[in-house]
Amino acid sequence: MTVELIVVSLFVVLAVAGGVMAARSRQILYNIIGLGISLFGIAGLFLQLGSPFVAAMQLLIYIGGIVVAIVFAMMLSMAMTIDPPARSLPKTIFAAIGSGLFLAGLVGLLNNTTFETRPTAGDEAWAVSRIGNALLEHYNLVFETLSVVLLLAIIGAILIARRDRTPA
Amino acid sequence: MTLEMYLLLSAVLFSLGLFAALSQRNLIAVLIGVELMMNAASLNFMAFNRFSVTDPATGQVFVLIIIGLAAAEVAIFLSIILNLYRQRHTIDAESITELRR
Repeated sequence: MTVELIVVSLFVVLAVAGGVMAARSRQILYNIIGLGISLFGIAGLFLQLGSPFVAAMQLLIYIGGIVVAIVFAMMLSMAMTIDPPARSLPKTIFAAIGSGLFLAGLVGLLNNTTFETRPTAGDEAWAVSRIGNALLEHYNLVFETLSVVLLLAIIGAILIARRDRTPA
Repeated sequence: MTLEMYLLLSAVLFSLGLFAALSQRNLIAVLIGVELMMNAASLNFMAFNRFSVTDPATGQVFVLIIIGLAAAEVAIFLSIILNLYRQRHTIDAESITELRR
């Protein structure tokens, strides 16, 4: 139990520290590394919440796909070599006030709400095959729509990002 | 960890993402803030899925869909950033002000 507690708090620390690093740093490389650390911590929490499949998908798609794509965009747009522009102080202050107010509202909401908890389902309800069945039976329309959305996003990204090869 | 602790953690992560999206000037850093917010939302889904839902496949399907949509969003956003850099040689969010005039 204590080992489990230590591991969970390690993941929580990773998630929050990565988030702070991603939100505060001005160097874009540190932002990306912070995002990766935070995503790793959240994947560990998914594991703790009983879903190794979703944790693996988080690692594969987010850290293996999205973070790497952001790194490529950083390299292609030379964001590393450009000197990062200084953030104006009023903008930072107003952003801090806004997000702080939002956080205070959420915490107040959490304090005033009692959440109904149920005992969690048995092990067989958490099996990966149940997710597959749910995706292909009850959530079939969502699944197919998501595949069309992904296809459109790929085509749109190619169309937007390609160089215009027709002579001017 | 209890449900409330997970919800608190997710609120903190969402606020960090909101702060990044509001205060950063580099468009890639703004995108990173949006990604943090999406992850806070999926953490909420997984926590409720663990503690107060009878069929745990539902929340996991939701999180998988969020991850897929985030991938599509990142692809579009990064292609827009690349196109912007090619034409303007900057990805500073405060220097793109044509529509303000």
